[in-house]
Amino acid sequence: MPHTPQAHLFVREMGLPARFVLYVLVCLFLLGLDARYTALAWLRGGLNSALHPLQQVLSTPWEWSQEVAGFFVTHGALKLENARLREERTLMRIAQNDRATLWAENNNLRMLLDLPTRPDSTTRVAEIIQTVPSPFSRKVVINRGQTHGLGVGWPVVDAGGLVGQVTRGYPFSSEVTLLTDRDQGAPVQNLRNGLRLIVSGTGSDRLLEVRFLDMHADIKVGDLLYTSGIDGVYPAGIPVAQVVKTEPPHNTPFARAYCRPLGGVGRYRHVAILTPLAPPPPTPTAKP
Amino acid sequence: MSARPLLPQGAELAAPPSRRKVVGSLLVALCLTLLPWADELRWLLPDLTLMVLLYWCIHAPRLAGLGLAFGLGLVTDVSHGLLLGLDALAYCAAAFVVLSLQKRLEGFDAPRQTLQLAPLLLGKEALVLTLGLAFGRGDADWRYLISGLVAVALWLPMAILMDRLTGRPAPVESPALD
Repeated sequence: MPHTPQAHLFVREMGLPARFVLYVLVCLFLLGLDARYTALAWLRGGLNSALHPLQQVLSTPWEWSQEVAGFFVTHGALKLENARLREERTLMRIAQNDRATLWAENNNLRMLLDLPTRPDSTTRVAEIIQTVPSPFSRKVVINRGQTHGLGVGWPVVDAGGLVGQVTRGYPFSSEVTLLTDRDQGAPVQNLRNGLRLIVSGTGSDRLLEVRFLDMHADIKVGDLLYTSGIDGVYPAGIPVAQVVKTEPPHNTPFARAYCRPLGGVGRYRHVAILTPLAPPPPTPTAKP
Repeated sequence: MSARPLLPQGAELAAPPSRRKVVGSLLVALCLTLLPWADELRWLLPDLTLMVLLYWCIHAPRLAGLGLAFGLGLVTDVSHGLLLGLDALAYCAAAFVVLSLQKRLEGFDAPRQTLQLAPLLLGKEALVLTLGLAFGRGDADWRYLISGLVAVALWLPMAILMDRLTGRPAPVESPALD
């Protein structure tokens, strides 16, 4: 027993190996519970709420140092205005992207087909406050959560295109799984010929892939892939990826295509969250 | 094994490790890990929390034990948003190894400690990656092993800095140690 001023006079406790085995058992129990079931959501939520103020403070060390260093009022005012304008520009570029060109054209086509117009989805801007340093997933934490009206499953976009999806909601922050995560996918449509595909992440920052592609599928290098909107999660017409390489089938019956994400996945600080579409109404059964 | 003196001597007598020092330094390390680091550098980021924890396991095993390792692991797990218990298990394992070798490690100076702790710091990253794979979290990014190497490289400056900050004088060569 090491001699420290805090050493007990009478030592009656479990040995080190026994305590270690106990802790390992608890950890394995937690791991199993968390991997297979969602029973620990409350524990995670509670601890996360406790950590949140800390993360909030730590996400702005640069701004703090700037504010301490420069005590010119004009500087501060300019900086604030700059941040506001940047946020606004992101919003406007997003709006421009998926509305200006497609909106007019779509409206015409919809009227032509006598379909109801799509309800306008609202956009909220959020800031990325933390990137999750984990080798297994591509996730970021944003500073908007359940109290701001965000829900799980909502699409996240930026000026370039689709970025990911809100996968876990906390009271004051949310976790966004990026499109490049290995378990993340998005239904898309080839802009050139309307072919419907599913794009999934590969775990690499700059690469997406279309797995299980039909051997004769018409897909070429340079094709642009936009969301198709048939899943009821992502609104149609958000740019997702551009094909950079197609691979003929080796040893498998399926071809494969690699794409480059169009959105700045893992590059920008601000993202926009869209309200998801209501799931499409069930197809009316044909009358006999 | 030679009998140890009943009263604290040398470095420990001059500046005994207090609970405030342990908690404060661990909090600073945790905050450094929680900073929003650039995406391209994430895999180079050493686990500072673990390093400071192991430092205290060596120099104040009464204050920093398995329970503290478990709690810190849980906090790290929540901040990573991955599996709950993954880092807790790795921290407990690392703390267990250090606590069982504590008497030997305490006698060494920081450069020699580095050699003794290198397999441990590397093994922790390997353990996390292996456990993540075992519990079905897709592909592991093996570049993260490099963060273990960075931790090994940073152990010496970290130990010296901690010695200075907590007022522990450099260990004096005692004739009893041979």
